Amino acid sequence: MKIPFSWLKEHVFFKQSVQQVADDLVRLGHEVESIEQPRSAVKGVRVGHILSMESHPDADKLHLLNIDIAEDEPLGIVCGASNMAVGDKIPVATVGTSLPNGMKIKKGKIRGQVSFGMCCSEAELGLAEDAAGLLILPTDAPIGMEVGEYLALEEAVLDLDITPNRGDCMSARGLARDLAADYDLPLINAGDDDVAVDGAVAVPSVQVSASDDCPLYMARRIEGVSVADSPDWMQARLIAAGQRPVNGVVDVLNYTMLDLGQPMHAFDADTLSGDICVRATQAGESFKALDGRDIALHAGNVVIADDAKVIALAGIMGSEDTGVTEKTTNIILESAAFRAALISTTRRTYGLVSESSMRFERGVDPAMIAVAMNQASTMIMDLFGGKASDISVTGDVEGLVKAKTIHIDMQRIESRLGIDVPEKFDDVLSRMGFGIQRDGNSLTVDVPSHRHDVSLFEDISEEYARVIGFDAIPEVLPSLATINPRKVDTAISSAVELGFVQVINYAFISADEQRLFVEDDGKDLVLQNPISADMSVMRRSVWTGLLNTAKYNMNRQQAGVALVEQGRIYAAIDANNPNEEHRETNVIAWLMAGELESDTWYGKARKADFFDLKGAVESWLSNRGLTARFMADDEALGLQAGQTAKVFVGKSVVGYVGKVDTDLADGFDIDADVFVAQVNLDALHKGKTLKFQPIPEFPSIERDLVFLFERGTESEAVLQTAKRAAGQSCIDVRIFDLYDGKGVPEGKVSLGIRFALQDAKRTLTQEDSDKAMQTIIDAVVRKFNAELRG
Amino acid sequence: MSEIDSLKGELQRLQEKALASFKNAADLNALQELRVTYLGKKGELTHVLKGVGKLPPQDRPVIGQFVNATKTALAEALDSAEALLAVKEKEQRIEAERIDITLSGRTSPRGALHPVQQGLNEMTAIFSQMGFEISEGPEIEDEFHNFDALNIPQEHPARAMHDTFFFEASDEQQAKLLRTHTSPVQIRAMKNCVESGGEPPLAVVAPGRVYRCDYDVTHSPMFHQVEVFKVDKDVSLAHLKGVLKHFLSAYFEKEIDIRLRPHYFPFTEPSAEVDIGCVFCAAKGCRVCKGSGWVEVLGSGMIHPNVLKSVGIDSEIYSGFAFGLGVERLVMLKHGIPDLRLFFENDMRFLRRMGVSK
Ligand SMILES: [Zn+2]
Repeated sequence: MKIPFSWLKEHVFFKQSVQQVADDLVRLGHEVESIEQPRSAVKGVRVGHILSMESHPDADKLHLLNIDIAEDEPLGIVCGASNMAVGDKIPVATVGTSLPNGMKIKKGKIRGQVSFGMCCSEAELGLAEDAAGLLILPTDAPIGMEVGEYLALEEAVLDLDITPNRGDCMSARGLARDLAADYDLPLINAGDDDVAVDGAVAVPSVQVSASDDCPLYMARRIEGVSVADSPDWMQARLIAAGQRPVNGVVDVLNYTMLDLGQPMHAFDADTLSGDICVRATQAGESFKALDGRDIALHAGNVVIADDAKVIALAGIMGSEDTGVTEKTTNIILESAAFRAALISTTRRTYGLVSESSMRFERGVDPAMIAVAMNQASTMIMDLFGGKASDISVTGDVEGLVKAKTIHIDMQRIESRLGIDVPEKFDDVLSRMGFGIQRDGNSLTVDVPSHRHDVSLFEDISEEYARVIGFDAIPEVLPSLATINPRKVDTAISSAVELGFVQVINYAFISADEQRLFVEDDGKDLVLQNPISADMSVMRRSVWTGLLNTAKYNMNRQQAGVALVEQGRIYAAIDANNPNEEHRETNVIAWLMAGELESDTWYGKARKADFFDLKGAVESWLSNRGLTARFMADDEALGLQAGQTAKVFVGKSVVGYVGKVDTDLADGFDIDADVFVAQVNLDALHKGKTLKFQPIPEFPSIERDLVFLFERGTESEAVLQTAKRAAGQSCIDVRIFDLYDGKGVPEGKVSLGIRFALQDAKRTLTQEDSDKAMQTIIDAVVRKFNAELRG
Repeated sequence: MSEIDSLKGELQRLQEKALASFKNAADLNALQELRVTYLGKKGELTHVLKGVGKLPPQDRPVIGQFVNATKTALAEALDSAEALLAVKEKEQRIEAERIDITLSGRTSPRGALHPVQQGLNEMTAIFSQMGFEISEGPEIEDEFHNFDALNIPQEHPARAMHDTFFFEASDEQQAKLLRTHTSPVQIRAMKNCVESGGEPPLAVVAPGRVYRCDYDVTHSPMFHQVEVFKVDKDVSLAHLKGVLKHFLSAYFEKEIDIRLRPHYFPFTEPSAEVDIGCVFCAAKGCRVCKGSGWVEVLGSGMIHPNVLKSVGIDSEIYSGFAFGLGVERLVMLKHGIPDLRLFFENDMRFLRRMGVSK
């Protein structure tokens, strides 16, 4: 909300500077987002009088002006505008001036002609968004005067972010009340003068049936107004406060709202028929909003209506057809109270927002309803004539403004804030309108009608904190709480130590990308209001994000990537009812593609293959104390058959490693084999706590065997067979050689198996190892139809 | 000349010849050959010794001594020549093995922790050390945990400010949503405690992802928060300030000035926004702090009694503080990262640069 500094001063006489007031407002809880200084922003721009004007000799569109600014010599200025004439008064930015748009005025040559300044438009002075030509000033503008002063531009305009609980501060008066209390200065009385009422003007007839939602409704008829533009000073203020002038009557109501905080509305009385009713909407009704939209109303909202139609959506907006225009002569003014929650719900239902709804939904001061009515009536009649009726009042004024009373133990406030609260702060709260009585530790607080947000002990504690100042509260470290320390998850750091770069992708992806790795089984979780279609479905695989990251980087001269991401995947449990139950699963996923390492003096670049990623996953699991088994899987969607495996830990599948389908990788513009893996972190058990084992006392024996196998034989199966055959003393068995080159028959592969034997109780003999070797040979030859080579 | 003198002379010559040849030996092998030549079983000294047998018996001890002295002298000379040569040969080998130690080392590929992850780890660790228990909650939430229980009823203006992502739902269902803050973890942790028969004190740090339907230069639809709260008897605003000051100073690794400004959040009362003295300009005023010397970093306050009530904790007995940190914001301030979008672009050049963990 924007509020001119001068407006605050109309409600309280303070001497503090703009910056000081801004700082104090912040301390009191009103965030100042910025301070505009319209007057000093145009310092150096002066009223100039055009003495002569001729065309630029070398450019038809430029003019050479001679301008008097009440200095010794007139200024020669080159100007590109065309809407001025000799004798006009115009704003002249003199050399050295900085304009609000950042332009610095220097003495310069334009097409060979020297120019000593610049003539300005409204836009260049920051007074309008755009402008067609120079701002032509009234003929009586004093030559040489600072234009900022002449136009009475505001010294400062504060742009405030009023918190939703302080609807009472969305006006000059509301803010001034906090400042007056803080500065211990009196708040100047609002002009609550009685309006000269003309008994001949009929008091509007009002029926309020929705009295819970509209506890107070005031209406007044004013006859015989001639609506003209509002005066310049009012328009200037409205513009400074960020509002657009409309017509005299509407401007007065907006002005009153900014001044006192009470939103008002005016109807053109001649467009209404019969009584004014404040009532609930009926099914099938519609409403023509000010923005021209026809809105079909739901039952249960509250509207203002006449005999025939809805004339306003209560507290939010009047209808287009019943508003005041330049032609209006008779008006009905409305000043009322509406329930905050009603306004909030209604305006969200229809997607409407107005200055009025913003105030009502945050809560306005019911004590201002009558004051605003009278102030606005007086202004309208002073400016535009007319005769006013008495006010029609429906509802309970006293009940609305009656103070709530809270009883509090002062010690509890002091313990909550962690500081003693001297009585002088009671006085500050009193000045803010609170009735405060302290008797020892017992405190009685009467809450003023404008503070809808205060009803609890905690609210009062905040009021004290605000006036004492948060800075005054000490910094105290509490005693340590009892704790259940939980082990920090090392999943991601462990993957990073293995050489992977962690990335973080959004959890939502496109529906198309979802289908790359997950069948459509109806379990997708779909956002109702996504940022875009590309971010509309909760991911069920992290791989699409990793592929996009790989694409992004490989398109930026990265010859290879090794990525890891930890995060959640999301899916419904029941396909028929995706909103009912869902599961979030914590996973870690890897991607490798392209060069693992570039050419170096000690080696050539090598491209990632299946075993690089498999090894990484194995090492990662082994760091957690887990051993994995891998089983070929030709069915995984999006992965290449023959280069994909399920990962088992114990008996359960915990993830996959595989090569991304080449067409799919092509779709991501990746010109390299891409390998991905994923492990479900929630499915992993903790891993065993390591137990001590004695270091073996007796030496081990190592022996090698080489067999020819059919191509396609799984080495894992061979090793298992060998291990089982070798018996208990076999401590290790592995493939030490793989060869299918010269000398190996077509369709065969040669595997070298190295096994190690060891006994805890004795040194093994040649005989022991010979025996083991023979059982291995027998078992492997029998099971795999293998041929011993050596 | 007597036999003995002639033998002595022979030994003398032999010794001189031998010592000269040792000196000239080219390498250890040559020296070994000389050892054999002079001291071996068929060597020259043995040859000379054969002449001793021709001497009269009384002369034999005299010449024997002489021979032994010669033998010792030769052996010693050989040893020292060998030692010298060994040193020389080692020096030669070392010279031959000289390498260019400025060539790059053989490295294994280097990984990098995402800067947001580093921030999360550092922040969680600080709170963990202060006695806060780590907790997490679901990212897909319901309106109760994300709003209602946090004292943000349906029609509350603050609810609209949250830019919530909702999931598709049929008419009779209440739509699920992506949590807009980590505060629902407060509700879950407190409910959990109460429903399992426990009671405060409760001190929790809850890191996690949150979502807002807002996407521009300074907003990301997904970002990270760390929620911190403590409920106990006599928890005060002063404790909140103490914890904030300690945390922020620990995180930025220097003493940080903090400033609390009264603010409004539905779930806390009193509420305050927290500014820190600008870490870029030592609070002198710069572009980052818009000249004010202060930078807003988080929202905080004393837990609202309605929130405690919603989980069954008696606000007459217990009080608590709570605050939520924007992780990206603090990481940007700590490392001078200018643009939020860098975190989610995942450019390797950025990640590797920022991934150097101290
Ligand atoms: Zn700064």
